[in-house]
Amino acid sequence: MWLKSTNLREKAIRLVLFSICALVIGCSPATQTDTPKPDEAELNNTTPHKHEYMSGGAATVFASTRDAFSHRPPSVANNFKLDGAFTSGDHLFRTPLQGVGPILNNNTCQGCHLNDGRGIVPVNNEQPFTSMLVKIGDESGAPDPVYGDQIQTFSVASFAESGFTPGMPKYHGSLADELVGEAYTLVFYETIAGQYPDGEPWELRKPVYKFKEMSFGDFVQGVQFSVRVAPQIFGSGLLDAIPQQDIIALADPDDTNGDGISGKVSWVVDAIDGERKIGKFAYKAQNPSVLQQVAAAFRGDSGLTSRVFPEEPCTPKQASCLEIAQQENHVPPTPDLSDTVLAFVEFYNRTLAVPANRGFDRETQRWDSSVVAGRTHFQEIGCANCHTPMHTTGLAKGSVLGFPGPLGLSAAAEPIEVLSGQTIYPYTDLLLHDMGGSCAVSRELESGGRCEAGADCYYVQRCNGLADGLKQGDAGGTEWKTPPLWGIGLVQTVNPAATFLHDGRARSIEEAILWHGGEATGSLSAFKSLSKTERQQVLAFLNNL
Amino acid sequence: MKNQNLLGLSVSLLLVSCSQAPVESDTTAQSGSNEIAQLQQQIVKTNADIAFAVYEDALISANALLEKVEAFIAQPDEANLQAAKAAWLASREPYGQSEVYRFRNGPIDVLASDGTYGEEGDGPEGRLNAWPLGEAIIDYVAVEIDGSAGPENPATQLQGSLIANVDAYPEINKEVISQYFEHGEDERNVTTGYHAIEFLLWGQDLNADGSAAAIRDNTPGQRPVSDYLVKAGECTSGEVNVSEVVCQRRGDYLLAATQLLIDDLTLVVDAWHPETGSHYQTFTANTNSSLSKILESMGRLSFGELAGERINIALSTDSQEDEHSCFSDNTHRDIYLNALGVQNSYLNQYTRISGEQVTGPSFADLLNAVEKNDLATSLTDALSKTMQAAAVVDEKAKAGIPFDVLIQEGVNQPDIKAVITGLVAQTDIIEQAIQALSLSTGELRQDTEEDLSQ
Repeated sequence: MWLKSTNLREKAIRLVLFSICALVIGCSPATQTDTPKPDEAELNNTTPHKHEYMSGGAATVFASTRDAFSHRPPSVANNFKLDGAFTSGDHLFRTPLQGVGPILNNNTCQGCHLNDGRGIVPVNNEQPFTSMLVKIGDESGAPDPVYGDQIQTFSVASFAESGFTPGMPKYHGSLADELVGEAYTLVFYETIAGQYPDGEPWELRKPVYKFKEMSFGDFVQGVQFSVRVAPQIFGSGLLDAIPQQDIIALADPDDTNGDGISGKVSWVVDAIDGERKIGKFAYKAQNPSVLQQVAAAFRGDSGLTSRVFPEEPCTPKQASCLEIAQQENHVPPTPDLSDTVLAFVEFYNRTLAVPANRGFDRETQRWDSSVVAGRTHFQEIGCANCHTPMHTTGLAKGSVLGFPGPLGLSAAAEPIEVLSGQTIYPYTDLLLHDMGGSCAVSRELESGGRCEAGADCYYVQRCNGLADGLKQGDAGGTEWKTPPLWGIGLVQTVNPAATFLHDGRARSIEEAILWHGGEATGSLSAFKSLSKTERQQVLAFLNNL
Repeated sequence: MKNQNLLGLSVSLLLVSCSQAPVESDTTAQSGSNEIAQLQQQIVKTNADIAFAVYEDALISANALLEKVEAFIAQPDEANLQAAKAAWLASREPYGQSEVYRFRNGPIDVLASDGTYGEEGDGPEGRLNAWPLGEAIIDYVAVEIDGSAGPENPATQLQGSLIANVDAYPEINKEVISQYFEHGEDERNVTTGYHAIEFLLWGQDLNADGSAAAIRDNTPGQRPVSDYLVKAGECTSGEVNVSEVVCQRRGDYLLAATQLLIDDLTLVVDAWHPETGSHYQTFTANTNSSLSKILESMGRLSFGELAGERINIALSTDSQEDEHSCFSDNTHRDIYLNALGVQNSYLNQYTRISGEQVTGPSFADLLNAVEKNDLATSLTDALSKTMQAAAVVDEKAKAGIPFDVLIQEGVNQPDIKAVITGLVAQTDIIEQAIQALSLSTGELRQDTEEDLSQ
């Protein structure tokens, strides 16, 4: 009802606007029209678009403080019904829900997406992963027959009492009556040092991951590990609304244009309707929609089942896990989460607003000159070949679950206008790219000596470059989805302890650039060859996003 | 949140570039009636006067609370504990009615401690009234109680609670407890405000026998007076004997939280002062945008905050953790007073804690003046229907069935559902009133932007 009336009101406003525009054009022929046109798809190298600072289109907010990733778009705030759905979704996002576990990485969404931003690498190896997780599989990418496709660090016992010790992983600890977390991850960093052609030195920290306390016994033969930190989530509803054909049009899997870049679509099967779709979410683009991403995270990371993923995260070979699952309030076929709860959290995730660029001064209507210069370099050295600056969203359909409110779900959800038909600047092509590198997994004692089995025998993963060695769907062990760059300059404002890249190894945006390889090798060497001032301009541009 | 939508921006830019006729259609929409314009100004002024009165009442009652807290800490006995609890409950009465001044970029949401107007979240609202509380980082907790008794987020786990760990947090004062507010970028690490004080007075809402059984009883929290006995051998943390230092620090915490509450309320009261308040001046000078703000706040509090987050979430999750005033079992008053605040804004009347009435022309008068008599009647009726439903929940609690016991009856609990239904219905009519008065909450954002940038 309210949606409808709001639509009418907005239509009326548009009509008025239209006549005003017409009049203005009448009185001053030189006045330019104000909305970006589709034919502006080709970005100009030197001059930003008129509304480029509005990265999320109408779903943009002017926010640059620690809450910058937590806001609702103005048109959501202005509509009581949408505002209510956002508020409830926000509450559910940050509050522990009944039915978490039996095994999990954290008991709330926000526990990983700290302040709606990124998670953190533990400050030392005494601290378990709480906003990071590890995906696993064998060499073909198939899930581990015992552990599944993810290491859940805790069992629910860690969240039922003070302190998380009771559910921490212990070697073979889940094989008898007890259930504890699946395995414990240790992070070690080696320093890689180098210098730019102009002599400016740089240092990177290269991670080595060790896994111990396997509570269900050894991992599958040939196990591969992919360590990941929780990403920021705003703007995901806009990415969801980018038409499939626009992404397919950017793909060049055989590099027919010979530019060394071969973006590839991640084709996945939608868990909800069984259709073949483009994967857009998660680091290897396994999930085609925000709803599926949210439901997958609820299940995989918190052990909360839903209509989309009704099975607890235990495999058939995890008897102690299955037993605890039987003791939950809700057992199959009733999922832990109602459709209404899922729809609230979906709506919240879809409509979290994108912060505007800070390099544009709205009072003077001028861009910062270093930002504009950095923007030019960014395009000239080829970053924009994968980090596609601009997209236009299609129709953002309402949730297939219905629209959630305090009286339950309405049968049909209307399209979300603030996400529809928006010109946005996310800086991603949502395609998979080979980023180079390689990985090796070995069994080692703490001392470094070789071993084959036992409580002291760790799994150790060493990689060169950005590779993780894990195949997931269409993405191979060196391939990653281009992550969006919007808001990247605010990541450490929102969470000062946050770092960059899939596993948080890069302490700064500059380090993240220096880690690029594979298809980005050419762009990286071009970046390195820029003068120091030019490199700083590139960083100024990225920090403005 | 400093929001300015794209369309709004384009319009203002274009208008600047062409200073001719098109503006008129906008202003003449007010039908040129001086009487209506005057009425609108009076409504806005009364709303601002009520804001000042209700926040000043909150401050007065917080000062009364401070007095009782100091007396209790000086002499921790049962009578003084009860007096402090009574003062806390009394302090919630005006504050609950003030919440309708949220959701409009007003001082409570955007006024920073240094006196500047910033983004939503920069204001003291979270520090004053955020919930659920991060109990476990403040003090001891029973491990069985529902919700998260453990660290609110292991990623940001502190070394023990602020009260218990003397080595890590040698001193407890206003600065320390606000420093750990939302610690580790986790919004759930709430360490300050009304609910921190509530927790320190009542303790967790265990059952009368000290258990946290699956079935909740009708008692609130059971914190013993001995938790505040600064005497060797007598100080407790619940049923456990602990060093008297812990009791000393618990008192320090209670005192600091109350003092901080007063600081934050003072900031808001000052901004609304009719002669000297920075926000009072701006608000009363911009009639149209302020009318929008009033109605927007009424709708957003009714629907998203009260019907949605505060009532429906607690009902549908059957969780004490999601109950607003869970330690004292005072949630029925939160609901009643929030709803009353909405009705106050519509009727433009408020009864101060002194009994004095602050009144002026109402939105009903305005709707009648623009010949929307039916709407005036239906909104009046809808608001009073909600108040009747809220009164039922209020009465039940007073008769021994508090909100947390009602919600465990199931998601279709009729008394709770009736409040939600009433709030949903009134929001629909508030939306109609916004349209009937030709006000757009979309305009609100731009006006706010202008206001704040001055």
